[in-house]
Amino acid sequence: MALRSRGGWWPALCIGITASILAVYILLVTSNWIYLGWHDTLYFFSKSRMWERFWLTVWTATVSTSFSLFIGIPAGYALSRFRFPCRYLFASIIDLPIVVSPAVVGAFLFGITTRFPFDWISEYYGIYIGRNVYGVLLVQFTVTAAFCARLMKASFDMIPVRFEAVSHSLGASPLRTFFKVVLPMAKNGIIASMIVVWARAAAEWEGLMLFVGATEGKTDIMPFAIYLDWNGGMMGWVTSMSIVCILMAVSAISAMKLIGGRSNVW
Amino acid sequence: MKNFFKSSKGKEFMMKLINNLVVFLFISSFFLVTHTYGGEKRLLFHAGLGQRMALNEIKAVFEKRNPDIKVNFSYKGSGYFIADITRSKQGDLFMPGEEFYLMQAGERGFLTDYDPKTDIPAYFVTVIITPKGNPKNIKRIEDFARPGIKVGLGNPRSCAIGIWHQKTFRKAGIWDKVKENATLSAKCIPELGNATQHRAIDATIVWATTAVLYLRDVEIIPIEHKYRGIIRLPVGVLKFARYREESQKLMDFILSEEGRAIFHKHAYAINPVIPVDKQAFCLDGTTDKDMEYLVNAAKAVKDESFPVTKETIGDLAGQVLRQKKTKRAGD
Repeated sequence: MALRSRGGWWPALCIGITASILAVYILLVTSNWIYLGWHDTLYFFSKSRMWERFWLTVWTATVSTSFSLFIGIPAGYALSRFRFPCRYLFASIIDLPIVVSPAVVGAFLFGITTRFPFDWISEYYGIYIGRNVYGVLLVQFTVTAAFCARLMKASFDMIPVRFEAVSHSLGASPLRTFFKVVLPMAKNGIIASMIVVWARAAAEWEGLMLFVGATEGKTDIMPFAIYLDWNGGMMGWVTSMSIVCILMAVSAISAMKLIGGRSNVW
Repeated sequence: MKNFFKSSKGKEFMMKLINNLVVFLFISSFFLVTHTYGGEKRLLFHAGLGQRMALNEIKAVFEKRNPDIKVNFSYKGSGYFIADITRSKQGDLFMPGEEFYLMQAGERGFLTDYDPKTDIPAYFVTVIITPKGNPKNIKRIEDFARPGIKVGLGNPRSCAIGIWHQKTFRKAGIWDKVKENATLSAKCIPELGNATQHRAIDATIVWATTAVLYLRDVEIIPIEHKYRGIIRLPVGVLKFARYREESQKLMDFILSEEGRAIFHKHAYAINPVIPVDKQAFCLDGTTDKDMEYLVNAAKAVKDESFPVTKETIGDLAGQVLRQKKTKRAGD
């Protein structure tokens, strides 16, 4: 499919623009890394505080992503395939958390968790949501669930309905069709969406700022810890944690690309 | 072809199985975690971001002495707290970065009993900071009005330092000129420190506790008495406290000699009485010694040969040693 890039100024211009933006990003990372220096890099990377936060980020994002997938896959499928009342209303409401700032989500979560029936539930079970790691998961889930459903809808939309029709005509039940035909075909899309959702969850902090607040070592996932240390004037931590975040993102994306290959989400 | 599909389905099934397993492991680990947390008394402490290092140290000492009490901080910018407390109606202690915010909570009836005379563990003191080497040669408050100086100011709506900038420069009669020189309107005080560190501004006024975080990258210039602001840092127990007794215990510890000494390590002024005028500007040299320690600490971090002793830098040795360890600050 690739066009030949030889001859003509237009391909050269496009490639040139790509190269320059890439150069800007590489410059951003390298200049900050040089600012940090090698000695400090080793010092901060060997601190346990760094890796505690790293694992906290990884596992909270993973858990909230898996919850989002449990909701997102059926929801995306329903929005993509079935006709039901108020379908368009649902579709637009599900877009809301993508458009609205996560800060709003954080503020609204505040309002709901202290009211009936959630206050009773938390009182009864002695689980306090908010200001602990459940709060982090709740914020990440709330922000990403809708996002996940939206991406899943896009993945399912790309699969022609014909395959399902054929499967039905051969006598397979809708459930069987979904698991044996639709899911395998949407695999690449699902994996690609999963990375996007995971990255979104790992990068979330506005909602956390409002709803959870920072308890060091408990709720300060990477982006939040960067903000905290920025406020504490600890430029060494800020730079080294940002570098870890970037490395994390790069490795996650390349790993998933290796597994999932190309898909329609990107 | 059929075999190929079968094997990919098999993989799919395995993937789902692993996914489910992971999720169940996580859920079960939640329950484990909640159960182990059940027996302890966990205090929720709303505290301003600026007090983080001092309070973490206090937490460590306090938890060691009282093993059944755990302190959880909810660090935020001071401006966020009123909304938080009003909506959540949770929290045991409250220590914002300015008495004003505590008064707001008091007006809404959230505080149990707050005595402005005794419940002040520490004070902030204002100092001038400039980038390393002081390239524009700033020495006094009046230098801020010189044309061509890039001044960083705080936004008075979102942070207390903004109000103090206004007050100080108004008193010196140069507010209009300084406003013309302003190139940064900061939402919070660390923004001013970071901007100075990265040479984005030529001079600004911050608390001594903020300046002490940037010893390697800024120059610290004490302000003369009549423009030196003394800001009270209060602490109070909230009405919704789940563990009233334990909260009081922590508050007493913060107000004790020992607690104050920890604040002194982070460049807070802890003299019990600092004479101030009506506008809270300093009247005499009570804080001069602290200012001298701070200036010496900045020298000690930059210059290896500078002696690090109790006489030269007071209680700031912890800060100096921490910042000497790495080129870029961290703990």
